Amino acid sequence: MSKKSFKQPQKPAQQKVAAAPQKRGKRLLPVLPIFFLLTWLWAAWYYGSVFYISREYSLWSADTRIMGFILCQPYGILRYIGRAMLLLYKYPWLGGLLMAAMLTAGSWLVGYCMRLKATWRPVQYLPALLYMAIVTWYGLDIFFEARTGFIFGIPFVALVVLCIWSIMIRSFSRKPAPAFIGIPKDETPRQNGLQLLVIVVAMAAIIGFDLWQRPYVRVICKLLDMEYRQDWAGIQKLARAHATMSNRPMACSYAISLVQTGQVSERLFEIRMDYDSLYIHGMDGHHNNASSLYVPEGNYFGGFIQSSQHACMEQMVMTGPTIRLLKLSTKCALMNQEWELAEKYLTILRKVPFEGAFCEKYGKMVRRLDLVNADKEMAMIRLTEPLHDSFENQYQQPLFMGYNLMLVEGRSQNALLNSLVVCLYTKLMPQFIERLEPLAGSTPPSIIMDGILLAENKHPGIAQNFNGLNFRQPQLQAFIQNTQPYMSDRPAHAYELFPKYKGYYPYYYFFGNLKATRKGYTSLSSSSSGVN
Amino acid sequence: MRYTLLYIYIIAASTLLLSGCKPKAEVPAQFAEADTEAAIYPDYKDIVVPPNIAPLNFLVKDSIATAFVARLHGSKSEIIAASSANDAIRMDSTQWRALLTENKGGDISVDIYAKRPDGWVHFKPHKISVAEEPIDAFLSYRLIEPGYELYRQLGIYQRNLTTFEEVPVYENNREYNDGENHCVNCHNYRMGSTESMVFHVRSNHGGTIIVQDGKAHKIQLKDSTIITSGVYPSWHPTENLLAFSTNKTGQAFHLYHPEKLEVMDEKSDLLLYDVTKNEVSHIIRTSDDLETFPCWSPDGRTLYYCSAKRNYLLDPTVPDTLITQQLLLKFDSLRYNLMSIPFDPKTRSFGQPRMEVNAAAESKSIAVPRVSPDGRYVLYTRGDYGQFHIWHKSSDLWVKDLQSGDCYPLTEANSPDVDSFHSWSSNSRWFVFSSRRMDGNYTRPFIAYFDKDGKAHKPFVIPQEDPEWNILLLKSYNVPELSRDAVRISEKDLRQCIYETEGENAVYKPNPTAIVVLDGMTGASPRKPADGTTGASPKKPE
Repeated sequence: MSKKSFKQPQKPAQQKVAAAPQKRGKRLLPVLPIFFLLTWLWAAWYYGSVFYISREYSLWSADTRIMGFILCQPYGILRYIGRAMLLLYKYPWLGGLLMAAMLTAGSWLVGYCMRLKATWRPVQYLPALLYMAIVTWYGLDIFFEARTGFIFGIPFVALVVLCIWSIMIRSFSRKPAPAFIGIPKDETPRQNGLQLLVIVVAMAAIIGFDLWQRPYVRVICKLLDMEYRQDWAGIQKLARAHATMSNRPMACSYAISLVQTGQVSERLFEIRMDYDSLYIHGMDGHHNNASSLYVPEGNYFGGFIQSSQHACMEQMVMTGPTIRLLKLSTKCALMNQEWELAEKYLTILRKVPFEGAFCEKYGKMVRRLDLVNADKEMAMIRLTEPLHDSFENQYQQPLFMGYNLMLVEGRSQNALLNSLVVCLYTKLMPQFIERLEPLAGSTPPSIIMDGILLAENKHPGIAQNFNGLNFRQPQLQAFIQNTQPYMSDRPAHAYELFPKYKGYYPYYYFFGNLKATRKGYTSLSSSSSGVN
Repeated sequence: MRYTLLYIYIIAASTLLLSGCKPKAEVPAQFAEADTEAAIYPDYKDIVVPPNIAPLNFLVKDSIATAFVARLHGSKSEIIAASSANDAIRMDSTQWRALLTENKGGDISVDIYAKRPDGWVHFKPHKISVAEEPIDAFLSYRLIEPGYELYRQLGIYQRNLTTFEEVPVYENNREYNDGENHCVNCHNYRMGSTESMVFHVRSNHGGTIIVQDGKAHKIQLKDSTIITSGVYPSWHPTENLLAFSTNKTGQAFHLYHPEKLEVMDEKSDLLLYDVTKNEVSHIIRTSDDLETFPCWSPDGRTLYYCSAKRNYLLDPTVPDTLITQQLLLKFDSLRYNLMSIPFDPKTRSFGQPRMEVNAAAESKSIAVPRVSPDGRYVLYTRGDYGQFHIWHKSSDLWVKDLQSGDCYPLTEANSPDVDSFHSWSSNSRWFVFSSRRMDGNYTRPFIAYFDKDGKAHKPFVIPQEDPEWNILLLKSYNVPELSRDAVRISEKDLRQCIYETEGENAVYKPNPTAIVVLDGMTGASPRKPADGTTGASPKKPE
């Protein structure tokens, strides 16, 4: 009975296969190779920066003792293998190649294992497309709490299962596999086109969703990447290109780049700082303010080395060590002249593939304070280190600019300007005025000048101590006159006024950082945080 | 059959290949003499070791050498071990045990040879002395990251010092679970025996876990008169009693200071808990002074503790809600003295506190007193200020000789970095302590020999199968406690007790002999300390 029922439908299929070449014209395209190329482009060019940062938020070493914290967890081996594969994203095109190969092979095997006929062949691409959709949905969450082993781990497990399944099928039924590179013989042009249509539409939907609902994900990751590479000009260019997209990680990277290039008192307010909420979750599953993405770096570049070490340690407690945390901890240890500690972190990093360049560069600095101080990045940070100790609980936000408002003495002009800008950012005018004295008689940077003019209302005569303010006075008067109609409901009008007054401090003072949020690309309401 | 042969070939070839990677363990026939000693990690040179310690495997640091050979020889036997450039010299444990046994009370000479491009060199030898007395075989500790506020995966572990075996006594959630997350701390045993054990669980499933006769139960030391719950514990040596401190503790992180954080008590008192009756009472309850780190003497007739005067640091016009802020601003002026209070185990009554070491008078501060099991010495840490010396670089180990009354530093054991929390071996000849000397951040347990003359010898870090583990491990060894025997309860049973029981509330029953000195109100007891001899507040009680 079963033989009969098995053989009966074979006849029309054979006829169809025989007829297919007649129907097929030159328009037939090799779908699997096209799918491979598209996924490669997605995984390397489009989403490569996200996977690259995922790698930095991960750690893998062949030394299983170092990886004990992962191996002891549920699915430890899977996470371990997944993290190993993620390492290839040191070079996104290489990592993307592996991912595309796995997704394509998986799709092919799904078709084979499910014995999909040509009509149903679009179905074989759905698991891979679903995976891409899930990755896009999670956005920053794919690496935020260092659950990075699943990025490759899940497709890897799926691939292994499919391989075993297909081997079993091959062993018992000898069913021929459809072509992997070429065009399957049983496909008609319509079936071929349908497959392409499904793939293209699904990928367009995935990318569309990303651009619509998670537009900040790739931007933040690119900024972090540039931050690690110390590409300050690149950060400024990218942040200004997305000036209306407001989030704290971006503001932190932007501020760091300005501090490192001495422009913080000129251009800080050229991006919007109202901080729309991000789709990001902590280990507890609750919505998170994403501070883990920028606090360690913000403290480090703000000159608060110990606070940066502390922040790194807090994150290591929660997520285990990551490449990013170990690198930052190494730099902090070098800045603090904790040579043995720096050597400890470097010893671990030396066991991580592809981290040789970092280890070589910073390994040379161990016990060489002259080399530490000669490093451009570290030398800039040294200028803003505090002169005196205090405790972090006296340390006022903004964390990303890292200046302690309790401290009124700095070791450099950079420290003074950073401090003044932070006072303006936090809109703490009394503290701003307290720090102005060293600039008396000079022409302050533009943001400082605008701050002085605003303070003039409550402190008449203060502007007389500085040069160049007269030229900016008319601009302030015009601004106040023009924005008067909007003052009664500032949050409602903040977004629409931003393009007109981008970079102008009085705009920020009256309209910025008011928890105003643009309605649109994020479905979540504004962050619960206030001015910070 | 064909495949069987193939497998045999593969295994044989792999064995040959692997054995070929490791240099031959034989002393080179020809070598040049170096005029220095070899640089080894960890520093196991010229130390005194117990005869039951695990092999002291080590790394040789020589950047141009490709292989090393070590020869350890005593009066009768020797061990020859070899390693490649990036591997450790590892001793065979059976040979090591025999070498130590044969050389008990004597010295072992260590000769190291390095294969450099121009041939083998022989470094100047160093020695390892083997003491007659063994160390308690088990060391318990908590493994945690240093310097943080959040917590996630941590646990109490037990290491067999005679081997490399480490087992978890109890671990909290490996996979993060917000509803189950909790901290474990302050494990303690009675006189080096795990027959009686205590530790605390904080946050979810919180309580004090007491293990006796292999059974665990959870208690809650809570009362309106108790500041928080039990914190630093000490088992009474003969009675089924526990002394606890109860502390309201906070920590703050430095911005620009060689010491990374400061842990301070805003309030603290001492408690006595009767395990059998499930009753808790105060030993000392003062509103102005800080008492902490209780420790019983081995005869159970004296309780040592640390005490600091707090109020002279506070501005009386500032509200109480800002006490922590005020103390924080004067964190380096808070100093603890070593105190003791007599105790009669029969009547459960306390006498008058007395000053053992007035450290504050020398602008110093004392923490963690531990009396040697023979009752002769009190080992404590002395630093410039405060009580959380595990983060104070000025912290050193000191002893008070209770016979002569002399106090002196254990110079050979101390380092420029933190040397703090310590535990005696039950024969009083060894102690283990935490030190940050390796990298300034991650504490490692060091073992030091304490001879009959009351002198400590150069300490050494506990041996690891792979000595590089001391570098790779990103956790600190916290609260090292020695014990003669292994913990007698399984992790599963502890987990069951922690997760499935709420904890029995201890009954508060005032002790009429307690010292109670409260500001503006009458305490449970009319007693007050003797003037001028206590660390308690000079303010008169009502």
